[in-house]
Amino acid sequence: MMEYVIESQNLSKTFRSYEKNPGLRGAIRSLWHRPYKESHAVDDFNLQVKSGEMIALLGPNGAGKTTIMKMWTGIIVPSSGQVQVIGHDPWKRDKQFRKKIALVMGQKSQLWWDIPALDSFLLLQKYYEIPDNEFKQRLDMLSTILQVQDKLKIHVRKLSLGERMKLELLASFLHSPDIIFLDEPTIGLDLVAQENIRNFLLDYHRQHQCTIVVTSHYMADVEALCKRLILIIGGTKHFDGPIEQFTQILGKNKIVTFNFSQAIDHTLDLWSDFEPTWNEMRTQVALRVPMEKLKDVTVQILNQFPVSEFSTEKLPIERVMKKILENPSLTKWGQPSS
Amino acid sequence: MKIVEKCRWAVMAQKWTQTIRIWWGQYTAYRINFFLQVIGPVLVFFFVKFSLWTEIYKGMGATPENPITIGGFTLDGMLQYHGWILVFSMLTQGNANFDLSTDIRLGKISTYLIYPFNFWEYHTAGFLAFQTLEWPVAFFTGSVLTIFNVIHCPSVLTLMGLLMLAMFISVLQFALQFLSGLVAFWLEETWVLRVLLNITTTFLSGAVIPLDLFPEALRAVLAYSPFPYMVYYPVKVAMGQLSLEPQVFLILTAWTLVFAALNVLVWRRGLRLYTGAGM
Repeated sequence: MMEYVIESQNLSKTFRSYEKNPGLRGAIRSLWHRPYKESHAVDDFNLQVKSGEMIALLGPNGAGKTTIMKMWTGIIVPSSGQVQVIGHDPWKRDKQFRKKIALVMGQKSQLWWDIPALDSFLLLQKYYEIPDNEFKQRLDMLSTILQVQDKLKIHVRKLSLGERMKLELLASFLHSPDIIFLDEPTIGLDLVAQENIRNFLLDYHRQHQCTIVVTSHYMADVEALCKRLILIIGGTKHFDGPIEQFTQILGKNKIVTFNFSQAIDHTLDLWSDFEPTWNEMRTQVALRVPMEKLKDVTVQILNQFPVSEFSTEKLPIERVMKKILENPSLTKWGQPSS
Repeated sequence: MKIVEKCRWAVMAQKWTQTIRIWWGQYTAYRINFFLQVIGPVLVFFFVKFSLWTEIYKGMGATPENPITIGGFTLDGMLQYHGWILVFSMLTQGNANFDLSTDIRLGKISTYLIYPFNFWEYHTAGFLAFQTLEWPVAFFTGSVLTIFNVIHCPSVLTLMGLLMLAMFISVLQFALQFLSGLVAFWLEETWVLRVLLNITTTFLSGAVIPLDLFPEALRAVLAYSPFPYMVYYPVKVAMGQLSLEPQVFLILTAWTLVFAALNVLVWRRGLRLYTGAGM
């Protein structure tokens, strides 16, 4: 087995678009005057992914995560740089390459809208040349795990978003791909559906050891699924490393939440060092406390205020992410080589 | 080796058959829409021409006793000409609603770029599915027009030849439509271009006015284009005024190959510009 299934070197993608002023005047003017603008969606991106890894591409909207995924799957051609996915140049789109990958797009249905999902699966069986008995076996297995046995013969347009998403996943896993690209697979789903899908992905990965690449704005997806995280901002890589290391970008901190039996004076100097987040009633505060001060601060607050309950937790990844998006230079701290 | 080759063809045939089934499912999901799409435009166009030519001949004083001819056509001949066009349009128009450009502009082709079945194969299967549904409608329309004596059924041999010709023409039409759709890689809106292409094809193929009424010089130029072979020629054969020449099949094949090559070129160039919007 090859060591790396994805290898990107100096990968870049530049898009060219023209700017048009709004309204009729802008439309008429655009007939002869079109100021074109180039935007570097991805810039000098380097990454290697080992077989069986489960990685997350993180970043704000327009960061370039999806563009990278499109280049890895051969949907768009890179402007410059090298990319190899399972030993293939994705842009050449060899059929052998396409048989080894799958792409799930949370915002775009791949199933045929006006027919039952089962018809789509039968078509995919032919496309991926899956033998009948293997197809039946996999369909049974996947539909049971995803709990959609009774949805297979219903027209896709009549399904709920959660049901449709499960069927999208089923369609993508039918041919046992070596690499699965998931672009926001839980977008728009309720919490239960999100958890079901995460559990399915974890189970599937555990059993098949395939490589999974996820982009998501839901940090819960990332925390549950991936050990390695790649942060992309403005088309460049800002962080590549284990998730634990990511949460320590802002320092080794803990979040300590105190509940008080009465309202507390929130203007005291004590709170200001720990980025306090108060509730409306001033009866609850969440503090970001450095590990070395954790004991002293906790004891001080317990002694000084009427604490009814308190709890500690790791710094949530959402909070780290929010801080980094507000100040991307923070990630210069820990930018390990890929 | 031969067995492997045979298996490969069988696998390919299964892919195409299943894709055609999917297209049938999609077309028939909205039945009324489908029939309006197949019959609507050509039928309306036929009735407009029927009324127009009847009034023109009447205005010129044509009566059953005094049959006036225009470009060698009596009123009955002209109506027969347009009756055959109606049948031929149904046999050859392909998927008139084929909106490849929207798929490109909105990034819908991304899905097909991932599957190990090419985009052109998927749409060609769609074209075949459409034809198989449309041909029975064309046969029914032809039978009705024959019963009402608008057109006259040619010999079985000519009819078989015409059906073969219709297949060649529909493939050429499909290649042209596909090419006009691919322009969406460069232009944001292609509907104007497609309407222009439609009008040009309709006019220059003799679907509005028989080519006999065109100036001689223009007809000489058109002979080097595919247009006369798309409507005028088969209709004249159906009316028994021209004979079916084997070289016409060669001409149609040559033009289809030209457009197919252009499609490959444009697809390859266009895909470099594709941004996969909306994903």
